[in-house]
Amino acid sequence: MTTLAPPVALAGTSGAVGLVGLDFAFPTRTGASHPVLDGIDLEIPGGGIVALIGPNGCGKSTLLRVIAGLLAPVAGDARLDGAPIDGPDPRIGLVFQEPRLLPWRSAAANITYPLELAGWPPARCAERLAALTGLVGLDPGVAASRPAELSGGTRQRVALARALALEPEVLLLDEPFSALDALTRERFDLELLRLWERSAKTIVMVTHSIPEAILVADRVVVMSPRPGRIVADVAVDLPRPRTIADLDQATVSRTAREIRAHLGDPEAAIEPEPELDPTASASRAPGRSSAEIAS
Amino acid sequence: MNRSAWLSVGAVFVVFLLAWKTIVLATGLQPFILPPPETVAIRFVGAWADGTIAPHLLTTLVEVALGFTVGAGLALVAGYALARSAVVERLLSPYLVAAQATPILALAPLFALWFGSGLLGKVVICALIVFFPVAVATMVGIRSVDARLLELGRSLRATRRQILTTLEIPAALPNILGGMRVGVTLAVVGAIVGEWAGADRGLGVLINLARGSLFDTPLMFAALLTIAIVGIALYLVVVAIERRLVGVR
Repeated sequence: MTTLAPPVALAGTSGAVGLVGLDFAFPTRTGASHPVLDGIDLEIPGGGIVALIGPNGCGKSTLLRVIAGLLAPVAGDARLDGAPIDGPDPRIGLVFQEPRLLPWRSAAANITYPLELAGWPPARCAERLAALTGLVGLDPGVAASRPAELSGGTRQRVALARALALEPEVLLLDEPFSALDALTRERFDLELLRLWERSAKTIVMVTHSIPEAILVADRVVVMSPRPGRIVADVAVDLPRPRTIADLDQATVSRTAREIRAHLGDPEAAIEPEPELDPTASASRAPGRSSAEIAS
Repeated sequence: MNRSAWLSVGAVFVVFLLAWKTIVLATGLQPFILPPPETVAIRFVGAWADGTIAPHLLTTLVEVALGFTVGAGLALVAGYALARSAVVERLLSPYLVAAQATPILALAPLFALWFGSGLLGKVVICALIVFFPVAVATMVGIRSVDARLLELGRSLRATRRQILTTLEIPAALPNILGGMRVGVTLAVVGAIVGEWAGADRGLGVLINLARGSLFDTPLMFAALLTIAIVGIALYLVVVAIERRLVGVR
């Protein structure tokens, strides 16, 4: 089985993200501060995949921006391989909810934009572009097209290629496929997993879809309404490589029910399945430590 | 434009000429008040052939080119500052608006007094009249740059300069060029007004000559026609640049 071991074997080598006692607040007009994240503690090993899930406005996207170095925490630390993140870092790639492409640039020029900013010579950019289009499965025929001429899925492929351009160790995705239809989205999720299998990147994905979280992640981290706290850290017990058929397994519905309970959906907590009993009691009391629930 | 578009432009022009001719015939106005189109056409060709117009046109074009360059150049810098600094906007915008609201016609004699009847005075007037539309367009353009794209730039550790050249300028370009379309036609007005207030050469001077000492109304119309053609040509140059730089988005 060792030959089939996923890149988790590399865990801990690089790309480990650590959040320690992290608070974040937005200042309000009156000068008071509006807390958004409250005491976030989270360890993500290098090469791990974590999905962040929670109600709207719980600060998932804010948390992602703190890890990306775009927002500075009010207290606590976000760390990459043990060193505090104090600004945008080339080792961290970010995919936004919308493709966020420069409309006046071709798809190819959008992908190489980070390389250009980093001062790569054109020849090296072209080389990397070829590798990236292959990596994300972008049709080379659309390289010269403007974003307005591309479909939503293709645009998000371009955005993914752009985020991977500088070969980051950590890939942050903010509801990256939420604008796509359900089938396309599943295909993208699986392609993301194939990409991960080849590149061993650490992935943190914000999502509001429980099935997507389960399909993709090793662990699903559930956040409370604002100010966002971590209410559960649910391990997904599905072997890799995963396929769409894995979503039919009993484990999946059990995990989904557990996540739903932590999200505060009363229906999920009413009828716990027998084998879920030990955790179900914890589910009814959100706010317990994640270790208790995940064990 | 394709062939049918050109045809329709030509057709409208013919209608315009016919209407003009009809008015002359119907009212029986003397040629020194309203010359018929064919008289203007003959005078236009004649004035070009005997070299009456060309030197005046050249002078005006130089004034417009220099004035537009200076005015638009300063307006780009000022527009950027207005967009990015609330302090600059608060302190400068009253002067900017006041300068625009003051009729250029009233300022022209003053500028002739200060800068003489040479090139400098006209360049100042052109620059002043071009400044406002381009500055406002630049300000609006820079302000409308999508904040999400700026966040993207920040996440990719773009420098101030890279943000300006790769995000702000390309994003604001359609607005800026829109302001320049207005500005370039105003530059022609500025040059003519400046020449009117005092100059030895230029299309504005030629109009004054034709109207006054020469009493040659068809020549005056020929000069007006030349000014109109210059305005249209410069406008089309900006549109062509816009097509080239902005294209289809």
